[in-house]
Amino acid sequence: MANRLFQRFTFVERIVHWVVGVTFVLLLATGLAFAYPALFWLTALLGGGPSARALHPWVGVVFEVGMLFMIAIWIRDMFLSGTDWRWLAAVRAYATRDSANVPPAGKYNAGQKMFFWVQGALAIVFLVSGVLLWFPASFSAGLLQWMRLAHYAATLGGGLFLIIHVYLGTIAYPGTARAMIDGTVTERWARHHHPGWHEEETRP
Amino acid sequence: MADSLTIRRVSASPDAYIPISALRSAGPTYAKLVDIGACIGCKGCEVACKEWNDLGVEPTANFGSYQSHKDLSPKTWLLMRFNEVEVDGNLNWLIKKDACLHCEEPGCLFACPAPGAIVQYTNGIVDFNQENCIGCQYCVTGCPFDIPRFDVHTRKVSKCNMCVDRVEAGLEPACVKTCPTNAISWGSKHDMLALADKKVETLQSRGFQNAAVYNPAGVGGTHMMYVVPHGDRLSDYSLPTDPTASPAPMTALGFLKRVGAYLMGFGVLGVLGHFLRYGPERLDEDGHDEDDHRGPGPASGHGAVPGPGAFSAPDAPAGPGAAPPVA
Repeated sequence: MANRLFQRFTFVERIVHWVVGVTFVLLLATGLAFAYPALFWLTALLGGGPSARALHPWVGVVFEVGMLFMIAIWIRDMFLSGTDWRWLAAVRAYATRDSANVPPAGKYNAGQKMFFWVQGALAIVFLVSGVLLWFPASFSAGLLQWMRLAHYAATLGGGLFLIIHVYLGTIAYPGTARAMIDGTVTERWARHHHPGWHEEETRP
Repeated sequence: MADSLTIRRVSASPDAYIPISALRSAGPTYAKLVDIGACIGCKGCEVACKEWNDLGVEPTANFGSYQSHKDLSPKTWLLMRFNEVEVDGNLNWLIKKDACLHCEEPGCLFACPAPGAIVQYTNGIVDFNQENCIGCQYCVTGCPFDIPRFDVHTRKVSKCNMCVDRVEAGLEPACVKTCPTNAISWGSKHDMLALADKKVETLQSRGFQNAAVYNPAGVGGTHMMYVVPHGDRLSDYSLPTDPTASPAPMTALGFLKRVGAYLMGFGVLGVLGHFLRYGPERLDEDGHDEDDHRGPGPASGHGAVPGPGAFSAPDAPAGPGAAPPVA
């Protein structure tokens, strides 16, 4: 069977994805450097301690702009349908590769949709707490202490999601990562992972 | 004290929370005692501080007070605050010597993420090492007394260092040396506490019933202490009534960081474990998971594709979104 290629992400979608992805990794690395003295050497990614501290908020600005575009181009596809709720209930089957018991997904499965909403919510927490921490002289110490807590909690949530996101997008499901590189996936992949979308794409 | 510059705590290191001195015998610590009742408001200490530490002059303007500057700054490490307050119908100057209190448990040091940017010596002095400072100003958020100030030009914070270079040489800090009324005393913390008790007794015998020593326990005591004539009116002196080195959000942050380190570590190990258990997904020609021996069930979406056979599936008709076949 010829394994045709399907266009999954446009050039613009891939650019936006990688702007958010690269900035988030830089922010996570330098953020963890500020949170954990043992990881302080990660500040070298942005030129050492003082430089990393000066650049972290600006990289954050690029991240937030990227998130804004990402939300704008994807939000319409991300509302959860009835199938999605059944998918979430069957997430154990998904995790154990029991694909027979995983409700068929459309262009995005419920896990991807949840990732989108959670990252969107975290971006708001990062933005508010980050701006306050950027200009500490303008706010009370007590408020800034809570902002540090919020900023770290969001980092932890985002970091955990990133681990799962990268794992699923690369070694767990071969053939997935190319969707964010040249934008295509194979028909075999599409039919297995997103049968609803495959059906739409192949409908005469 | 020959070991006056022996380091006790270092920011962003395990030694921040377990003082090195806990591991061996600690010598006596120094303390400055400020007798507010004996201050005549001459501001000689401010000048001495600027001179010794070479802090330079900042232009000032009259803002309706005898106070010299409005606030501390990277160039003003010591400010006599002239708080005008009515006490028993009379105007009182409740003067506060505003400078670093050198906490025994320094909130600034605990909050600092830059290794070695803040140190505490065994003699009790808390000092900033600007060469290690990254300019994040977390120390500002960690200080219960609002002391560290950020210099927007050098991107570093600074504050009173208790003239550590003089103390190291066996001298008293510049402000102590210059005070004409001996309102500032200098010595071991032990001796200063004894002196403070005596001064409080004297004040109380003269009718200042609420005279008290300001050496707040929430920060483990301080190495600059005050004798406060009106101990019931701390806020009128701009002195926090209950300062703490570990406020609730910072305690929560410390706990969450510890939990978070394990979660992220086990998160990475978890996905690697999942990979070892389930491996990379292999799809057969039909797009079925080759490793899924349970076979497609009724809930599977595979039936949506027209006519997929196990081995001889004809290609589905090309849709508008379908890319050209692979070469």
